[in-house]
Amino acid sequence: MTTKINKVSVIAFSLVILAFIILNNLVRGDWGDLTGGFSNLIKFWNTELWPPEWGLIFEAQSEPPKCNVNIEFFCSKAYTGMLETLKMAFVATILGFIGAISLSSFAAKNLVPKSVLVPTRLLLSFTRCLPSIIWAIVFVIIVGIGPLAGVLAMTLYTIGYLGKFQYEEIEGINREPLEAARAMGLRHSEIVTKVVIPESGNTFLSQILFMFEYNVRHGTVLGLVGAGGIGLHIDRAMELDLYNHVMTYLIVIFIVIVIIDFLSLFIRSFVTDESELGESSIFTVLLPASLAQKLHKSKKS
Amino acid sequence: MAKPIVKIKDLSVGYNGPLVSGFNLEIKPGEIVAIVGTSGLGKTTLLRTIAGLIPKLSGRIIGNVRRRGGIGYIPQRLGLVRHASVYHNVELGARCGVKINDESGNILNWSKRKSVLIHETVKLVGLTEKINEPIRRLSGGQQRRVATARTIAQSPELILADEFLSELDKENADSIIRLMRDYVKNNNSAMLLVEHHLDRANQIADRIVDLGEFEVNSGEEE
Repeated sequence: MTTKINKVSVIAFSLVILAFIILNNLVRGDWGDLTGGFSNLIKFWNTELWPPEWGLIFEAQSEPPKCNVNIEFFCSKAYTGMLETLKMAFVATILGFIGAISLSSFAAKNLVPKSVLVPTRLLLSFTRCLPSIIWAIVFVIIVGIGPLAGVLAMTLYTIGYLGKFQYEEIEGINREPLEAARAMGLRHSEIVTKVVIPESGNTFLSQILFMFEYNVRHGTVLGLVGAGGIGLHIDRAMELDLYNHVMTYLIVIFIVIVIIDFLSLFIRSFVTDESELGESSIFTVLLPASLAQKLHKSKKS
Repeated sequence: MAKPIVKIKDLSVGYNGPLVSGFNLEIKPGEIVAIVGTSGLGKTTLLRTIAGLIPKLSGRIIGNVRRRGGIGYIPQRLGLVRHASVYHNVELGARCGVKINDESGNILNWSKRKSVLIHETVKLVGLTEKINEPIRRLSGGQQRRVATARTIAQSPELILADEFLSELDKENADSIIRLMRDYVKNNNSAMLLVEHHLDRANQIADRIVDLGEFEVNSGEEE
C-alpha cells in the first residue's frame, strides 16, 4: 500500500516539475512578464473596470428595439442581451441534443456495424473539430449578423460535442436489454427510444444541462463575431474602450451562470440513481452527494 | 406432420474459433427442449447464435418464425430496461405482438392491441399492482415474471431462454415454469432453454439435449 502511494506521489511530483519546465520554456525563461503583469491588472481594474456601469442593468436602453414594458430593468441592454443569449443557448441545446442522439445512435458499436459507425463518427468529429466561434464566423457569412448565426453555430457544435459523449455512454450500457430487443425484431428507432434513452436517461439529462450552461457561456463569446446576444454588446463596448461596461456585462454573465449551475444541480438531484427519493431540498444540492444522501436517509427514517 | 419451428443442421458456433461444432436439433410446435452441460461448453453462445445476435461459423438454422416478434429471447440477467417501469418493459414485447380481435370480431388497432396485450400479460404474471413500478425496485422473482410477461406479450413462435430460472426459489420457479409451459402448449410455439440444473430442466422440458455429446472445443465463453 505504502509503495503504491509512494509511486503515485513520485509520478504526480514529476508531472508538476515537467509542467513547470514546459512553462519556463514557453515564457523563454523571462518571468518578468508574470510578476509585472499583476500590477498592470490592478491599475487597469482601478482606472477602467471599476465601478461598473450599473445603468446598463437598471436603465432602459435608448436605442431600438423599443421596449413596451414599464419596468426599466426589463428594457435594459444587459437584460435584453442576456435574454437573447439564453434563448439562443436553449434553442441550440434542444436542437443539438436531438441531432446528437440521432447521430450518436449510428456511431455506437453496440448498435450498428462498422460500415455505418465510421462515417458517422467522422461526421461528428468534423462538427466538433471547429470551435463554435469559427462556426459562428461561417454562419455570419452565410446568414448574416444576428442570433440565427449564433444558434446555428452552437447547434452544430452541440451535435459534435454531445454526440461523442452520447455514443460513449451508449456503448457502456448493458448489452442484454439491447440483445433482447434486437432478437425480438425491434427497429433501430424503437431500440433507441425504448431501450437506449431510458437506460441512459439520467446521464443524458446531465449532459443536456451541462451543454445548456456551456452554450450560455459560449453564446456570450459568439457575440464578438456578430452572432447576437450579450456578446454583441460586449464587442461594441470593447470597440469604444468602455471597459466598465464590459465589466457590467461580465457580472451579469457570472450571476446567470451561477443560477444555471445551481438549477442544474437541483434538477439532477431528482434523478440520481442512488437517491430514489423523488424529492430534493434546495439546500442539499450544495452539499457533497454522500452527505446529501445521508441527510435524506436520516429524514426518511 | 407439423412443420418444425426451428431446424438446426451441422451448426458451428464460436467467436474466434468453433466452440460447438456439428450441432443438430429440430424443435416441433408445442415442444420444449432444454440444453444442459457444464459451464464453458458454449450453451449461451449457441443460444445467442440461434437468436441471430452473433454470426454462425457454419451450418444452417431454418426458422419457421415471424420476422418481427417471432423470437422471444430471455438472457441470463433477463435484459430488462432497469430504469423503466414494468409497463414499459412489457410494452417492448407488445409492440411486436400478433393481431387480436375485440369481442365483436374486429381487429384492434395497434395502440389498443398494445394496451390489451400489456394489461393481460401483466395480469397473467400477477404484477398488476406493480405495473408502474421501476424494475430496479422489484425482487428477483418479480423481475423474472416481467421478463416472462414481455416474452408472452410478443406472442413468439420460438422462445430462447438462458438460465432464466437460476437463483429462484422453488415456488417462484414452479409458477414461471407453469406460465411458460401453458403458453408454449396452448399456442403451439416452441421453447429452447439453457439450464444448468438437470432436475429443473427435467421439470420444464419435454426433451433434454446434452451439449457434451456434440463436438465441443473446451474454452471460455465470451
